[in-house]
Amino acid sequence: MYDKLLAGGRPPTIGEIAEHFAISPADSRRAIAELKIGKTILPDPNTGEIWMAGPFSAGPTAYRVIGRRAQWFANCAWDMLGIAVIADEEVRIEAQCTDCGAPMTIRANPWTPPIAEGVVHFLIPARRWYEDVGFT
Amino acid sequence: MSLFRSEGHLAAWLGSTKQKRGEVLSLTKVFELARAWYSDPRDPAWRPRTRDESQEVLDSVGLTGDFWELPS
Repeated sequence: MYDKLLAGGRPPTIGEIAEHFAISPADSRRAIAELKIGKTILPDPNTGEIWMAGPFSAGPTAYRVIGRRAQWFANCAWDMLGIAVIADEEVRIEAQCTDCGAPMTIRANPWTPPIAEGVVHFLIPARRWYEDVGFT
Repeated sequence: MSLFRSEGHLAAWLGSTKQKRGEVLSLTKVFELARAWYSDPRDPAWRPRTRDESQEVLDSVGLTGDFWELPS
């Protein structure tokens, strides 16, 4: 799954997983739902498709990470730097200020902290991070 | 975990949304956290961390105290 994400910018769909493993779409959906790997991969509660695969988002967010191979979307400002770590390459992050919507471009890499203006606000205390991961 | 241009923009957002201020980290600190927290899941040795291991990661980058206490 991460191979596909890193190469193409999005996780495999239920249909693609079913085809790859020669199983039915129902079995594919069930397999995603039953992944026992902590909070790392979460299915969309409505469709059953992969919704988040930490630190990647399956769909567009305010945190676009552009690498050499692909562009990805991060779930949050923490994850945008996590993608640079997992992708193991220099990236350009196209984000926005949560307050005013002004575009913010951040050049990041897996080795050294980014040199850019900006702060990150953690609204939710760690003890509640997993109550509603989407909101967190 | 939301990005803001500055503390001033964060303050304006907190004022307009009536949200309570949580913890604010520099991009440098968030990078340290991301580096400590994330590793390549394609690595055969990769496995999910336990709660205590995740807490150790937070501790290792200096994120300690009540706000950073994971659920038990």
